[in-house]
Amino acid sequence: MIVVKDLVRQFKSGDRTIKPVNGVSFELEKGSLASIVGKSGSGKSTLLSLLGALDKPTSGDVVVDGVSLAGLPDGKLTEYRRRDIGFVFQQFNLIPNLSAVDNVMLPMEFAGVRKAARLQRAKELLEQVQLDPEKHSRRTNRLSGGEQQRVAIARALANEPKLILADEPTGNLDEHTGEHIIELLSSLSRDHNTTVLVVTHDRSLAQKTERCFRLQQGRLTEEVRTGSRR
Amino acid sequence: MSVLARSVGNAFRNKIRTAAVVAVLAVAIGLALAMLVANQAVGAKVQELNASVGTTLTVNPAGGQGFEGGGEPLTTAEAETAASVANVTSVVGTKALRLQTTTDSTTGSTQQAGPGGGFGPGGQQATVSTNLTAAVDAGTLGNRNNTSGTTGATGTTTQPARTLPITATGIGAEVDSTGKALNITSGTGLGDYTASEAKALVGTSLAEKNNLAVGSTFTIQDKTYTVAGIFDAGTTFGNNAVYVTLPEAQTLAETPDELSTMIVTVNSMENVDSTKTAVQDALGTEKADVTQGQRNLETAVSSLDSVKNISLIAFIAALATAGIIILLIMVMLVRERRREIGVLKAIGARNRTIGLQFVLESLVLVALGSVVGAVIASLASGGIASALISSNTTTTAATTSQRGGGLSGAMPNGAVPGGGTGGGFPGGGMGGGQGGPFGGASQLLTSVTASVSPGVLAAGIAAVFAVAIIGALVPALLTARIRPIEVLRGE
Repeated sequence: MIVVKDLVRQFKSGDRTIKPVNGVSFELEKGSLASIVGKSGSGKSTLLSLLGALDKPTSGDVVVDGVSLAGLPDGKLTEYRRRDIGFVFQQFNLIPNLSAVDNVMLPMEFAGVRKAARLQRAKELLEQVQLDPEKHSRRTNRLSGGEQQRVAIARALANEPKLILADEPTGNLDEHTGEHIIELLSSLSRDHNTTVLVVTHDRSLAQKTERCFRLQQGRLTEEVRTGSRR
Repeated sequence: MSVLARSVGNAFRNKIRTAAVVAVLAVAIGLALAMLVANQAVGAKVQELNASVGTTLTVNPAGGQGFEGGGEPLTTAEAETAASVANVTSVVGTKALRLQTTTDSTTGSTQQAGPGGGFGPGGQQATVSTNLTAAVDAGTLGNRNNTSGTTGATGTTTQPARTLPITATGIGAEVDSTGKALNITSGTGLGDYTASEAKALVGTSLAEKNNLAVGSTFTIQDKTYTVAGIFDAGTTFGNNAVYVTLPEAQTLAETPDELSTMIVTVNSMENVDSTKTAVQDALGTEKADVTQGQRNLETAVSSLDSVKNISLIAFIAALATAGIIILLIMVMLVRERRREIGVLKAIGARNRTIGLQFVLESLVLVALGSVVGAVIASLASGGIASALISSNTTTTAATTSQRGGGLSGAMPNGAVPGGGTGGGFPGGGMGGGQGGPFGGASQLLTSVTASVSPGVLAAGIAAVFAVAIIGALVPALLTARIRPIEVLRGE
């Protein structure tokens, strides 16, 4: 369970202070699938980076399963990212000179998983995201945008994280593959009790999530649904 | 994929840049290694010069050297006086003997032969019999010496044809008659050189001629000696010699307490001049002549020393250059890969994993640079060393060889019973003071050869790696300061 309490992140830009995240509070149950929608520059990525411990909030706190991230030292935050978080970045952020398999194996290597086990799991994950087996050993800078997106998703799933933070996970995918990825994410939340938080412009994706938040000028509001998707 | 494999992969990510970096590194590393090799070669030579002749004084009886001149012999008491002078590290007494092969010798008796008496001059050299045969043929020079030796005051009639005498020297330490350490090629030394013992060291050619090996025996003056070791003096003349302990030689010559020469070793080059005066004063000018053979070598050694310093500074400078190249390249790479480092941190890489990856990457570059650099060094070090030596010591070497040549020419060769070797000086008398070092100086200077020894090369490469690690550590520590949020830069 994730509890976000009055989260604020402010930057100084010249003389002005900007607050892309300004007093955000919400709670997400374990295993829930939620989406955040908002315009460009509304602070979605900043909020995601605070939840994933990539950045530290100016004030407020994120409590994951009773552990407050604000109080954790950098080493513990690294461990938190490695063990509990799976990131899918908008720009994929794969290591370009490594193969698809090697990219997926990286988080497992950092977590100390044995090589044979890493390779086995990486291949399974790449199959789950429907990447052609012949492309598993291809360097990621030779893959198309959609293929890279899927490798990025596979990498996020590598260490079986508790929370998956995905920034536009279907943005570069065709409708069919996008559907598949959405199905994959929702099955993760359903079957593996993984909390999935997706930032998206895609209304159809947002429609399919259990809860939907709207971020506007640093403030979060939940859209009230009439019926559940399940 | 492990950190190492990733580092190797990263090192070759941009092949053109890697080639350029390796080329620049190779030049710096090659120069560093060449300088180290030159430094070692010159250092070894300086050490050799210092050890052999650099700090030794030769004390001869006043008015006499070897078998020339006259005066009173030196005694053990004088050796003790010399040893008590400040800055003197050791005093080694020698006692020269001439061994005459028994079958050809007129008698087996000991002779204190003066000029013209018996086998030529030799106030200092006692002639005793032996069953050894000289390894040197008499030849023209030997026969001429023989003839001139007999035209002395007494005008002795023609001697029967005979083989050449063999030089035997009693030594008070494991050094040859010039004070240089003996190069024992097989067997051992004589142990305690101040004790009387029936053991001897035999020169290689003499041993070969007489079929002697370690453990073999031969006789001097009807006394049986065991060969304890075989030495290589490096010259034909020097190898036709026998060394026994000092008391043994004194006993054989029946002149206990007498010394032919004393080799005084001074603690450092700087003190040689003052010590020479001090020793001369202590012994008295009427008793002893103190000579110093390395005067001209002093300048040679000091210029070699400056070459050594220059090469050391150049080595350090080249090493530092290699370190700075690594530092700058790695700083550049870290800056270029900020975002990628952010990604690694975002997916849970520890700071030390990322730091290690960058250090290893730099080591891959250095390893490549070292391989190419070692090839450059092995090709260039000889040239660099000789260029350094010739530019610094041309003058010295030239004067040295001239003086050396002049001295050799000035020696009354006809009076020296040395044989046809061209060596000129029998070990006992003239040795350390003048002949050896003068003649050897130019040879020593020009013989600084920079051979690339694996040990030196390995040490140099180890130093390069140490510097590379230091150079790479700074950028690696910089990676720790990159925050994972860098991953979102530009998003």
